[in-house]
Amino acid sequence: MTALAPRLRARPRAAAGAATTFRYVVLIAGAIVMVTPFAYMVATSFQGQAYVLTLPPQFIPSHPTTANYTTALGAQNFALYFLNSAIVTIISTALSVLLSSMMAFAFARFRFRGREVIFRILLAGLTIPAVMLLIPQYILARDLHLLDSLTGLIFFYVAGSLSLNTFLLRGFLASVPAELDQAMQVDGATAWTRYWRLALPLAKPAIATATIFTFLNGWDEYPIALTLINNPDHSTLPLAIANYQGQNATQWGLVFAASLIAVIPVIIVFLVFQRYFVQGLTAGAVKG
Amino acid sequence: MDRATGPVPVARSRRPRSSATPYLFLLPGVAIFVIAIIWPALQAFRMSFYHWQIMAGAISQWIGVDNYVRAFRDPAFWLSLSNSGIYMLATVIPQMAIGLFIAVLLKRRSPSQPLFRVLYYLPVITSWVVVSLLFKYLFADRGLVNFTLHDFLHLMHSDVSWLSERGTALIVICLLGIWKGVGWSMMIYLAALQGVPESLEEAALVDGAGPWQRFRAVTLPAINPATVFLSVMLVIGGLNVFASVELVTGGGPVGQTDVVLSYMYTQAFRYLDFGYGSAIAVILAVLVFVLAVLQLRITRDRGEELA
Amino acid sequence: MKRSQRIGLAVATAAAISLVIAGCSGSSTDSATGTKASPITLTFWGSYGNGGNSTQQDALNKTLIPAFEKANPGITVKYVDIAYDSLLQKLTTSAAGGQLPDLVRADLGWVPQFAQLGVLAPLSDTMSDYKTLAAADYPGSVATNLYKGKYYGLPLDTNTRVLITSQAALDKAGVSAPPKTFADLEAMGAKLKGTGVDLFADSGLGAWNISPWIWSGGGDITNADETKATGYLNSPQNVQTIQMLVDLYKEKLIPNLITGNQGATGTSDGLPKTQYATIFDGPWMAGIWGGQYPAFKPIYSPIPAGAGGSISVVGGEDIVQTASSTHAAAAQKFIRFTQSEQFQIAMAKTGQMTVQPALADQQAQIAAYYSVYSDQLKTAKSRVASPNQSKIDTVLSTSLTPAFLGKTSVSAALDGAASQIDALLAGS
Repeated sequence: MTALAPRLRARPRAAAGAATTFRYVVLIAGAIVMVTPFAYMVATSFQGQAYVLTLPPQFIPSHPTTANYTTALGAQNFALYFLNSAIVTIISTALSVLLSSMMAFAFARFRFRGREVIFRILLAGLTIPAVMLLIPQYILARDLHLLDSLTGLIFFYVAGSLSLNTFLLRGFLASVPAELDQAMQVDGATAWTRYWRLALPLAKPAIATATIFTFLNGWDEYPIALTLINNPDHSTLPLAIANYQGQNATQWGLVFAASLIAVIPVIIVFLVFQRYFVQGLTAGAVKG
Repeated sequence: MDRATGPVPVARSRRPRSSATPYLFLLPGVAIFVIAIIWPALQAFRMSFYHWQIMAGAISQWIGVDNYVRAFRDPAFWLSLSNSGIYMLATVIPQMAIGLFIAVLLKRRSPSQPLFRVLYYLPVITSWVVVSLLFKYLFADRGLVNFTLHDFLHLMHSDVSWLSERGTALIVICLLGIWKGVGWSMMIYLAALQGVPESLEEAALVDGAGPWQRFRAVTLPAINPATVFLSVMLVIGGLNVFASVELVTGGGPVGQTDVVLSYMYTQAFRYLDFGYGSAIAVILAVLVFVLAVLQLRITRDRGEELA
Repeated sequence: MKRSQRIGLAVATAAAISLVIAGCSGSSTDSATGTKASPITLTFWGSYGNGGNSTQQDALNKTLIPAFEKANPGITVKYVDIAYDSLLQKLTTSAAGGQLPDLVRADLGWVPQFAQLGVLAPLSDTMSDYKTLAAADYPGSVATNLYKGKYYGLPLDTNTRVLITSQAALDKAGVSAPPKTFADLEAMGAKLKGTGVDLFADSGLGAWNISPWIWSGGGDITNADETKATGYLNSPQNVQTIQMLVDLYKEKLIPNLITGNQGATGTSDGLPKTQYATIFDGPWMAGIWGGQYPAFKPIYSPIPAGAGGSISVVGGEDIVQTASSTHAAAAQKFIRFTQSEQFQIAMAKTGQMTVQPALADQQAQIAAYYSVYSDQLKTAKSRVASPNQSKIDTVLSTSLTPAFLGKTSVSAALDGAASQIDALLAGS
């Protein structure tokens, strides 16, 4: 490290400065493209219903109001739906990440009979169009007495996210240095200890990614919730928001306001977990 | 190259005494997966051989492979398959390339980094309903895109009726797909880039490698698992495109932009022809699965990936 | 294998298994309605939610259902609101699982479809007073419940399409009143040329869009028994009617919204913005414009008359009882209640038009434009009551679109559509 430092500094300052400027210009330009629709959604959510979706699009509400938010928050049982969504999503995310990281660990660290077959079956799970599973899953849920319950949603959300997470985590766990694993094994550590104490901590960025994705998918899931839930008391947020879309008319301001409130937890989860994306975590461990 | 980060030469010596362990790690996940996904999938597969009656208890008629024969003779199915294929081909590489580019720009720690990460991730978390509606407005006959290209920049002689024809409508749908998916690829690559040891990059720097050479020789190979994962996932996702098409064009004009899933959905949930819908789903699933396995095979030849 | 490892795995396995078990124990709450004569709960699915505008749902939940429950002690009605776009999917999956509600507010196009599947109870058999109740409703609305000689529901609310005209466009054309006939319409088109205002706009070529033209032009889509389209849909009258529209399209007096351009300005925006001179639309538009274009004063008038008069198409919803309902008698009580003046007028106040011509005058006092709709409804017809109705829709629009785009002739398009529809009618 110390030997390198002078070399790094030897780079001409002006060039480095220009590179940084260029980086920021690109980043900001890209960010504008990415953010515009979201900004429009925010603007519309503060717009009076009569002025929603006019052309050309208005990014600063001409008739600002918070009515959409008060209606969304006051209407139906928004708080209950929010809570239901939170329960379902948090539990299913935690379970899914746990179970899929265990599977990923098995695939990444062991050779065993049926390894390829099992992995391919998991992969096949990703290729089946989920819409086509709705009816069989509904009948299954009925037979398992999982209809109209949050448990049922958790069950299917966990199942639905296992393939992707296992596939994602497997690649990352495989790149955890074998030396450490072997060293721990020599010390008499069990497979569970190696999984829990070594693999998981070292795969933090990947675990964080899986958590962020699983949370988002669970939080936004609509078709299964629509299929399984009848009792409004068990509704989740996407169901409630879909009800704002009418046959002949939709109050878009209301839809956008409700969607924005709903998106806050997703952003929080993202902010919390993206902090684990820190370079050098793995490398540091190798040196240690 | 330092072997420390390479795929593990999985301990063969361990085999005798680790027989049950991997299965125990797999058991809970696989159990749930088989019950909730594979079993229903087999049911859907079975449906595809019937003139399937949805009512509980109704007797369905076994018609063998008729639904499959019908699909192969159905020009609307082939059109939808080609639309899905075009979408997949047009969106996979841009999403990966742009995602990687942004991830490289954002991997270093800086005060503004979390902010940028959130901004680039926003499209991923914004609902399809909202972004599709917005794209529809952007590309409307009197929308912002026509205004910019025609009235403002004078690049075109007249307004383009983007959504009135298959070709231009598919362009809009592909742009929407790329725009919404870039943040997702960025996330995978960000996570992967954290695993590239600085020591490797530094070593390459000492060897006098330029930034591009360093990137090609060190970074790209090190993030190969992420690239494999992404390419497989995006091909699957591309062929399964659905929500954006439903919301932007509804498959129109007159089915010209239907994709496999929107066509399947219409057959199953509008015409209540679940047998035919299932057959279409099975064809798509088999196609996607074969592609995924092929992709993994090809990449295994280079790395030591599991396929 | 070491102990800690076993514990870890055991915890994970237990978590997984408990998911299934918890579900097993956590259900069976809704089956409170046992064999006793004690309280019956009727479940009623619909989409009164109406895009976040809660007036319809409030009228139902806060006024009508309490009134029904008071008059019928021992029966509770539980209304479940489901997003309109998702209701068909939800009904389908629930039918597959044998878990349907007692009552459904069904789009009238779904009734023959579900009747064919055996999902619905034939009310004309099971309700002794069905004929009396049906006689009070618009015949076009009642007809939507017919499948193979039996009626599976009663009209709950209705609507139709009338001509809606923009005054500003009339001024531009120098015309004093909305077109009363096809000839008036064509004359107005000639005057609108070059003004930048389109004569007429619609968002597709399905049965809902095209039927008013066909019927008013003196043609038909099928024979009276709805068993054959050839000889009817491709009749000379229809060729003439559609040719008129195609000519207007070619003269750019009808925008390509009708051939499926999703990027064209929608009718609800195009009319108040004087981009379109006339549209066909339903009674819900008043509420939409009232909020969005408060200054816009739409003119409502009958569909322009052709050789067949002024005939529009029936829309709306029917109330149906599922065959699986274990509370048929109670469900029928509620169905009767929906046909009462109290129910019909209360819903009319929220924008749901009454299905009973006898209440039309009372309804017109709620809003004047209702009378144009109720007059139109007297002669309005229902679309083919076939389980394949949505496929027929697809056939119509996919066959007619090429004719509009000039890729085929109108008569060839109608011939093709007719033979495809023949097959669909025979198949059902």
